[in-house]
Amino acid sequence: MSCEGRNPMPRAAAFRRSPAEVMRLSRMGCSHPTRLSFLRQLLRRMQQERWRFDRPVWQMDARGVGRAVYRAIGPARSYSLVAFAHDLPAQARSDRVIATAWDATFALFDGTPDAQDLDRLAANVPLQEAGRITPRELSLSRANRSVRLFDHVVERLSRGLQPDAAMLQDTGYLMRTTAVYGAGKFGAADRAAIAPRPELRAPFQAEMLSVWLTRAFTVDLVEHLARARGGDRAVRLDPALKRGLGVGNSTGLGMAPFVIRHPVLLNNWMLAREEALARVRAQDSAGAAECDGLLAALQGAAVNAQLWTSAHPVQQAKLADLRDGLSRVIAHVSGAWDRGAAHPWDSLWRWGQAQLPLEAQEALLAAMLEPHGALIDGLAECMDADEDAVFAIDGAMRIGDLRAILQDRYDWALGVDYGARDQCARFWYVSEDKLEPRLGERFDEPGAGCELPLDTGRQAAALWAALAGRPDDQPVAHLLLAHPEHRPALRRAQITARHPFAEIRDNLIAADMLPIDLLRCKLAFFGATRFDPRSDRWVRISLFQGAPYPEDMGGAGHEA
Amino acid sequence: MKHDPAAHAPAGAPERDAPELSLSEIAALSWRAIRGAGRSWGEAEEGAQAACWLARAGLDWAGMLLEVLDLPGDSAACPLRAGLRLADGAALPDGVARVGVTLPGVRCPAFILPFAAQAAARTGQALRLVWQGADVTVPPAAAPVLQGQMMPRGAVAVTIGADTAAAGPGASGGWPVRHRATVTAAQYARLNALMIAFTVPASAASLAGAGAAGDDND
Repeated sequence: MSCEGRNPMPRAAAFRRSPAEVMRLSRMGCSHPTRLSFLRQLLRRMQQERWRFDRPVWQMDARGVGRAVYRAIGPARSYSLVAFAHDLPAQARSDRVIATAWDATFALFDGTPDAQDLDRLAANVPLQEAGRITPRELSLSRANRSVRLFDHVVERLSRGLQPDAAMLQDTGYLMRTTAVYGAGKFGAADRAAIAPRPELRAPFQAEMLSVWLTRAFTVDLVEHLARARGGDRAVRLDPALKRGLGVGNSTGLGMAPFVIRHPVLLNNWMLAREEALARVRAQDSAGAAECDGLLAALQGAAVNAQLWTSAHPVQQAKLADLRDGLSRVIAHVSGAWDRGAAHPWDSLWRWGQAQLPLEAQEALLAAMLEPHGALIDGLAECMDADEDAVFAIDGAMRIGDLRAILQDRYDWALGVDYGARDQCARFWYVSEDKLEPRLGERFDEPGAGCELPLDTGRQAAALWAALAGRPDDQPVAHLLLAHPEHRPALRRAQITARHPFAEIRDNLIAADMLPIDLLRCKLAFFGATRFDPRSDRWVRISLFQGAPYPEDMGGAGHEA
Repeated sequence: MKHDPAAHAPAGAPERDAPELSLSEIAALSWRAIRGAGRSWGEAEEGAQAACWLARAGLDWAGMLLEVLDLPGDSAACPLRAGLRLADGAALPDGVARVGVTLPGVRCPAFILPFAAQAAARTGQALRLVWQGADVTVPPAAAPVLQGQMMPRGAVAVTIGADTAAAGPGASGGWPVRHRATVTAAQYARLNALMIAFTVPASAASLAGAGAAGDDND
């Protein structure tokens, strides 16, 4: 749901950034995870509700082939990650969606599986897309080993030694997931079936839980293999080193269209984050604890930025911006920032806007939110969406009103010459082999006849042109009768009129559009760190690095 | 790459006689199949939403959708087009809740029901749809009350108007808790074939651009 209807802090409105500033790919492509990110929401809830965790099944042979079950026990319900570990030859290891075998495969089961459930899952989960799961499952996923690090850790532990800390930091994870499917895919439970549960209402909570339990599995597996190899000599992984490991994720274009196809959801994510920033900026003063929290968050971000590497030139430039920007922010916060002045957080933000590159501005945003949990964490309740409720087109809307919406919210799209090659260089389509979204070069590749309607700017401009000469008081239903082809653009315009952050304000088929910007934004909302593009449309990231493990959750001192 | 229908999601589905699909699978399959049948994206969005509505109502969503897609897109008998007109015009002075209408020859008239539901929700007025052998009430924001033959053979005349006898919203009770529906193997194969018609086979360029630049054995 959206929180537009209830705004407990109206004075924050004056401090909100405009959608025209926020909804540009150049800025969305600099997004950082915040305390509103979905994995942080999951960890906070599990800590606050004192969830318990156990591992009722661990059947693994000396080669690390077998099955395991990890259970998360909440106040009302339990969820179980069912893991299958395989012996994968190196030549079969691929992170791409076309792969047919993986080092490990997983399903998140609703409740506690019995032997029959496990056998059913064993017959289907290792096949991934070629198998079939049921409404008892909430997600389906797989992971591949980070081969060099995985082998190194097993080898060292088996000899009674700890692995090389620098190597661990360099990679950051033992396994990376290559797809995490939820929301009804391949027979899993529909989103609508589980969304009424408080613990699954926020976006992607089942998927996040699945990945977090996968992280525990990856460590258990290396320790198991080390014991199998080294016997009594073997040692367990040092807790501090273990804490620094996350789960990697390797992903491509497949997830990019999601934020275009779910405009209300995107709006609610953005609106919650922007409202959080506005609330912080609207504070009259800066307390000592909040200032300390800010500095700690900035220093943590600076350490992370040092460890964060990428071979991609675009990201390398951004990382240089980030490291330089963070050191300047830390210097400013420790020195010139007048925390006693009126609206000190707003003055800090304005300083950042004037002084910092986009990458560091968005990092400053995340750091400013960090010490303000009490002020902003409630906004997490507003990040899901009832998309069915806004689906129907209002045919009684007058052409004049539609014209005004297009002028106000689509000015970025209306002046573009979409006939120019560089403005329509790309087309989005679905691949025949895996039914996955892809991006083609219109003038070099076949298939533009099967273009997906993700050319939002071009469609808005075509709708605008179709309004020419129509009287202002005519209902849009008449336009749709004559020109049904404008229906998708009209729906988006009506949605964007009520949801200002619904539309990405860039030409998504332009030659210079970077798909990794779409991925970065979505992954930051997940809570991903170490964004590392491997091409302009393929990226590796890390999830849950530095987060507690199940066995840490009972204790205090690990605020999520 | 050679096309292998069994490789397509939901891959397990066609193997059994009456496989069950989740609503999100129904929406994704319908959206692409409608476009693959040559209809516009706007019709694909609406038709996919309608298919889910029909599935939740316990009706033969796939059979109805396939019957619709067998019609030419510009056919006056197409219930998808008729439904869109009905829903778009619902709040206008000549909207169906105020001024009843009889559509002379419509195929698969039950496919109009989801659009009547949109119109009922927008106007807050229950609608009644009658065709030979069937009588349906669609209340605002509640499950429909279905009586009679939902899939008559051939085109039928459909009379639609306000159901002034219907009690207020929710009179029919809430929707059943249903998030899945079946499809026959034959229906699934036909919808899948339509969906595939709107996909692009792998090319040298697309394969070169996919995945990471490098090996995944690192």
